[in-house]
Amino acid sequence: MTKRIFRSILAVALAVLLASLGLIVGVLHGYFEDRVAWELESRTGYIARGVEREGMDYLTSGLSRDCRVTWVASDGTVLYDNWQDAATMENHGQREEIREAMEIGKGRASRYSDTLAEETLYYAVRLSDGSVLRVSDTQYSVWRMVLQALQPMALVMALAFCLALWLASRLARQLVAPINAIDLNNVGTVESYEELAPLLSKIRGQNRQIRQQMADLKRQQEEFAAITENMSEGLLVIDRETRVLSRNSAALRLLGGRPDGGVGESVYTLDREAPFRRCVEEALAGRRCEGLLEKEGCCRQIIASPVEQDGALVGAVLIILDVTEKEQRDQLRREFTANVSHELKTPLTSILGTAEILENGLVKPEDVGHFAGNIHREAERLIGLVNDIIKLSRLDEGGPTGQWETVDLYALAEKVLDQVAAAAERKHVTLKLEGGPAMARGVPQILEEILYNLCDNAVAYNVEGGSVTVTAADTPQGARVTVADTGIGIPREVQERVFERFYRVDKSHSAGGTGLGLSIVKHGAAYLGARVSLTSRPGQGSTFTVEFPKVGKATE
Amino acid sequence: MRNKFDEQLERLHVELIQMGALCEDAISAAAEALLKGDGELARTAIEAEREIDQKERDVESLCLKLLLQQQPVAKDLREISAALKMISDLERIGDQAADIAELTRYVRLPDGSGLLHIADMARAVIRMVTDSVDSFVRRDLTLARCVCAADDQVDELFDRVKEELIAFIAAGAGSGEQGLDLLMVAKYLERIGDHATNVAEWVEYSITGIHPSSN
Repeated sequence: MTKRIFRSILAVALAVLLASLGLIVGVLHGYFEDRVAWELESRTGYIARGVEREGMDYLTSGLSRDCRVTWVASDGTVLYDNWQDAATMENHGQREEIREAMEIGKGRASRYSDTLAEETLYYAVRLSDGSVLRVSDTQYSVWRMVLQALQPMALVMALAFCLALWLASRLARQLVAPINAIDLNNVGTVESYEELAPLLSKIRGQNRQIRQQMADLKRQQEEFAAITENMSEGLLVIDRETRVLSRNSAALRLLGGRPDGGVGESVYTLDREAPFRRCVEEALAGRRCEGLLEKEGCCRQIIASPVEQDGALVGAVLIILDVTEKEQRDQLRREFTANVSHELKTPLTSILGTAEILENGLVKPEDVGHFAGNIHREAERLIGLVNDIIKLSRLDEGGPTGQWETVDLYALAEKVLDQVAAAAERKHVTLKLEGGPAMARGVPQILEEILYNLCDNAVAYNVEGGSVTVTAADTPQGARVTVADTGIGIPREVQERVFERFYRVDKSHSAGGTGLGLSIVKHGAAYLGARVSLTSRPGQGSTFTVEFPKVGKATE
Repeated sequence: MRNKFDEQLERLHVELIQMGALCEDAISAAAEALLKGDGELARTAIEAEREIDQKERDVESLCLKLLLQQQPVAKDLREISAALKMISDLERIGDQAADIAELTRYVRLPDGSGLLHIADMARAVIRMVTDSVDSFVRRDLTLARCVCAADDQVDELFDRVKEELIAFIAAGAGSGEQGLDLLMVAKYLERIGDHATNVAEWVEYSITGIHPSSN
């Protein structure tokens, strides 16, 4: 900018300089020419007068040599010249000014000399004797004058150059300063020269537009963040170089990463286990991929999908799901199915075998009763098992299995102990009932089922001559029943597992039962809102405690 | 805008993480194979070792390319030279994991014997490898120093395993060959621990610019 301003200023200065020079030279030259001619004329007059009076003496005595004086006789021969020897000079009769003077008394001429770049002016007068006196003077031509003016002009030009330089930079600074001073974010308050107004209003308009767009973008981003942050599934967006572009906190939590990790770094800094790497690699190769990630007892499902834009792969989206519970449920279901088929098969095989022997007549008539009893027993076990499974599945579904009533647990315990009395007697197990009336709300069949299963287990897993103590009591927190036995006990590490379906502490099945009893207790108690706890020491016996919520508080 | 150098440096970082992860896979598979006598897992470990070798060559050529074409200085140079050193340690870890995996063909851990410490040792070593890779991934100085400290524990365990094996052979509980094989396994584990320590030391170098062994 400075350069352009400088050039303009210099151009203007030079143009003005040249124009004024031309003008001055034109005007002054004419003026000087006139002036020189007039001076020449008057000087010629003086000299002519002197020559008229004194003749040759006037010319030879001390005439100044600053101009050329020539005296020519009437025939044209040069009588005198103060610059040259008259004798050597040719006849001047034909010279324009002399001829003119001879004819009309005075004459003038000007001749131009190329070599000297000067103009010589001649003026001649006829004297009274017919001779002619000529005086000549030189005058510089226009070019000579211009040439002479060049030096001062160069000085002026140099001055103009410097001035232009200074002005230009100053002007440029002045022009640009307010532009530089504009606060682009806050154009409204800027005061400046009016030529800037269109620019400022344009910036104002753009600022408004930018603010609008920024607000839109921010809102969209916040919406996206709110959605992804509230997802329980982990979400990761990565580019082709595996850099994380976007992630939510669920992703970090599920991958067990640091809360600050992620964006901008490689996704492998979050997790680098083989299934995860395979998913990322597959997705970045353009194929959808699913994987299962197991760590520290948790199970994560990874779903990786490639992201394409205009047919080119630009990255991948990874979704991380917590499938720990699902996996555990699946595991339980698989175990349950395997267990059920096994448990059903055992009595059926026994029945089938016995029936086959009977069919083939290999049994002595007196043994038929024994074999039939076998079939009967196994069939009963089968029915018991199926019944238990039905009960469990009903509890699982949580459907209504009966009317809620207020039940005295003490009375119920009495009834249940009667039911197991026969079995207890066979094992010589003493049954004791302690405590007093304890009222609890629940479905009578389920309550009975719970107590029955606990007492049945207490007897079945008891030692010969042991005892079972049932205590019913009303506590401030609600009714409580404990069933304590002196049986084989349950090792600490499996105490959690005894409530699982078909789980048996005693793997030999010697105590009978379906393996579903405690499972029914657990689910029944859960259905009634009660809590089951277990304390046990191997070899010393187990105590199961069922705590019911206080009557009146029970929720249905 | 990221320039090409930054991008390549990032690529190096990712490749190293992948290589570290492969080592973790290899050593876990080898240890599992040893403890469970699973031939399938042993094969996994041996395959992982091959992959690690390939990765080492890839990372090596990437490092050399970076050094020659970009002439890195200061921190970047440190990181690249540390990477060059690290990959050789990682590669050794992979090799030794494969060696253990091969030995599992002939070795069965005697049931219920007092050789449980070899399992402890395997776990400690896996932890060290994981931590050393983690310290690289997160540029975590404290974790890197923890790895160096854990090596003493592994050395102690090695001594204990050695004593147990001497007792095992002296008692004539199994063939002497098995005892020796187990000693080899223990030695390999101990070496893996050392390599993990080296990796952690190089991590420390790339972060601080001072190699721990220099003071």
